[in-house]
Amino acid sequence: MTAAFLSLQRVHKSFALADGPLPVLQDINLNIRQGEFVSIVGGSGCGKSTLLRLLVGLEEASGGSLLLENEPIRGTDLARGIVFQDHRLYPWLTVEDNVLLALANAPLSKAQRHELVQEHLALVGLSGFAKAWPSQLSGGMSQRVAIARGLVNRPKVLLLDEPFGALDALTRAQLQDELARIWLAEGITTVLVTHDVDEAVLLGDRVVVMEPRPGRIRRVVEVNLPHPRRRDQLELVQLRQDILQDFSHSPNTALA
Amino acid sequence: MALLSLISRYDWRGWVLPLALLLVWTLSTAFDWVDTRLLASPLAVLSAFSKAALSGELWVDLSASLIRNLNGFALGVLAGLLFGGLLGLSRQAEHWIGPTFHALKQIALFAWIPLLSAWFGFGEPAKVTFIALAVFYPVALNTFEGIRSVRRELYEVAQVLRLSPLQRLRYLVLPSAAPALFTGLHLGLIYAWLATLGAEYFFSAAPGIGNSMIDGREHFHMDQVLYGLMVVGAVGLLLNRLAQSLERRLLRWRDHR
Amino acid sequence: MSNLPLISWRPLSLRADISRFSAPSLLWVGSKASALVFPALLLVLWQVAVNRHWVSAQILPPPSLVLESLLQLWHSGDLWRELSISLERVLIGFVLGSAAGLLLGIGMGLSRTLEAYVLPSFQAISQVPVLGWIPLLMMLVGIDESLKYLVIAKAVMVPITLNALAGIRNIPKGYLEVAQVYQLGLAQRLRRVILPAALPSLFTGVRFALTKGWIALVTVELLASSEGIGYLMVDGRQMFQLDLVIVGMLVIGVVGLLLDQGLAWVEMRLQRWQRPAF
Repeated sequence: MTAAFLSLQRVHKSFALADGPLPVLQDINLNIRQGEFVSIVGGSGCGKSTLLRLLVGLEEASGGSLLLENEPIRGTDLARGIVFQDHRLYPWLTVEDNVLLALANAPLSKAQRHELVQEHLALVGLSGFAKAWPSQLSGGMSQRVAIARGLVNRPKVLLLDEPFGALDALTRAQLQDELARIWLAEGITTVLVTHDVDEAVLLGDRVVVMEPRPGRIRRVVEVNLPHPRRRDQLELVQLRQDILQDFSHSPNTALA
Repeated sequence: MALLSLISRYDWRGWVLPLALLLVWTLSTAFDWVDTRLLASPLAVLSAFSKAALSGELWVDLSASLIRNLNGFALGVLAGLLFGGLLGLSRQAEHWIGPTFHALKQIALFAWIPLLSAWFGFGEPAKVTFIALAVFYPVALNTFEGIRSVRRELYEVAQVLRLSPLQRLRYLVLPSAAPALFTGLHLGLIYAWLATLGAEYFFSAAPGIGNSMIDGREHFHMDQVLYGLMVVGAVGLLLNRLAQSLERRLLRWRDHR
Repeated sequence: MSNLPLISWRPLSLRADISRFSAPSLLWVGSKASALVFPALLLVLWQVAVNRHWVSAQILPPPSLVLESLLQLWHSGDLWRELSISLERVLIGFVLGSAAGLLLGIGMGLSRTLEAYVLPSFQAISQVPVLGWIPLLMMLVGIDESLKYLVIAKAVMVPITLNALAGIRNIPKGYLEVAQVYQLGLAQRLRRVILPAALPSLFTGVRFALTKGWIALVTVELLASSEGIGYLMVDGRQMFQLDLVIVGMLVIGVVGLLLDQGLAWVEMRLQRWQRPAF
């Protein structure tokens, strides 16, 4: 394995409850290569979203270290972009202005910013919607805008927190294909958190399977298949069956 | 045709009661069923109104009231925005002064009048201070609550995008707080007009529409009291409409649902 | 984080980072007590300022003097006498106003025709604040008790009417259809369906109305009265005894709070059926 680009070592996290600390992540070790697409899959309560919040810097680890290019991760940084499950667009800004917000402090001219925004809206297939309000968009369209916002400032790492979890099945499949296309074209290191095993194996170079109480890594599965993939590929179906086995053993860890 | 259907769809029944009242009022004064000193005829009210309008007296009173109203409103809004903003943006400020603010809020507005008159006298400063106080509470309270209504999820976006404090204020806090802010300003506008009237009743005489009503009562000019009442109602209604249309314009983004 | 957050959230107990909050209960007690620190400091400063003659005691009567006046008024029975006069006025005005409001609100709620005829006029009248009506009412009924009752009743009537109307209009259609299926008469419909369903909204109206009535009382007593808690303040002001004025403000604030909180408590007791059983 080449030198780790994004590295997690013995990461530990617990929350303070009234009756003592509750461990949510225990001894997480993971090294991610530059340009890699890593899927993290697990049921509810396995701490996968918390892990992503540690990576983006919205939460602080209770122990261990998180490094990006050998620099410790502390707080948020434009080098680490995120797309949340709920699109989190600002309803009082137009689509264009929402994406522009990610460039608010970029050392660019006004024209350059606009060009970048147009380019990224085109990338997610929303060229004609620059002046629309978020409340006029469907869930899938809103999530595309959120992806454009996450990409527009060229982060070193793109973090995706169940970005398609709230969408209907058809839109989800469509956006998964588009995400794969964008990732292939841009080559940004991507970490996707999901509870959908199909999605995890379809997109990931590796799939990290997590288990709950406290959240820890059960195993890491390599998906040695070239991109772009077809969801009906035999190898994918087999991998999916294999991973689902992990969850069927203990009924109380069934997928949400 | 469109106009015709609009007219026919309009519910005219709401006019029956006021018109009936007007009729009874006109008849009873015309046939001397009641003492016209106690109940001036509609015509008398109208002529009192036109006399006041033509002589310019009405405009003197109205502009005096409106200027007073505006001064107090501006002062109260400024103080309310600053105080509510401080309380909303700083947990420390809320912690130390919040409870005192909420306790003082319990005192009915008009109960401040005797104290204000002792401190500021009976002239314009006392009146404007009283109006400002009336505006201060709703504006401060709604500013505070508006700022606290910023959603955590959207705040996290600002964190992730590394927006500066000023950018957070502009792109996140102000728009989030805007609906509540407008509610505060709207209430402030209504309270200001009420307080203007109150100030003119309670503090010393000076031109003003409320003052003209008090004068009318003292000299038993019912027509003057009645037209004053109508002007007060009309101005209140206009201020209300003004606030509504302004609000709709500035909160456009909420309309597309 | 190099970038200070403009606003920060109070950590939810579930989410609070363990390293920062090791003894939450101790902190909680401390935070409650410290809420009193600012007012206490203010009172001390106020007292010191007067004692040292930074400001005249006549302009700013010291807390000690206010307390003394309060106790004196309390023991002499004056406070209670004035307060009971005021409370009686509120009670009578409230009964009158809520009776009229209920009648009008329920009437309009039951009959769309009545609503179409009456509601626009009602709204126009309620647009003009109580204060605007006072000179007119003074001419019509003088400045006796009836003026106070009328002013309070008007203040009380508006929220009760509107809440009664809204309460009835918001009854789920299904409830009324059930009543129709069982062919309940008007009296039965009122008792079994309409009133219980509209009760929560009605009670909100009552609570709001009582606060409005109390405020209206203060206003009218300040403007035209020779007794009552408002008059106590006017009197204190005229004799430049601002300690009496401040006592009046305190009493008005406390009574207002008690009326509101008392009704909130009754509301909670009355509507227990609304809460889930477990």
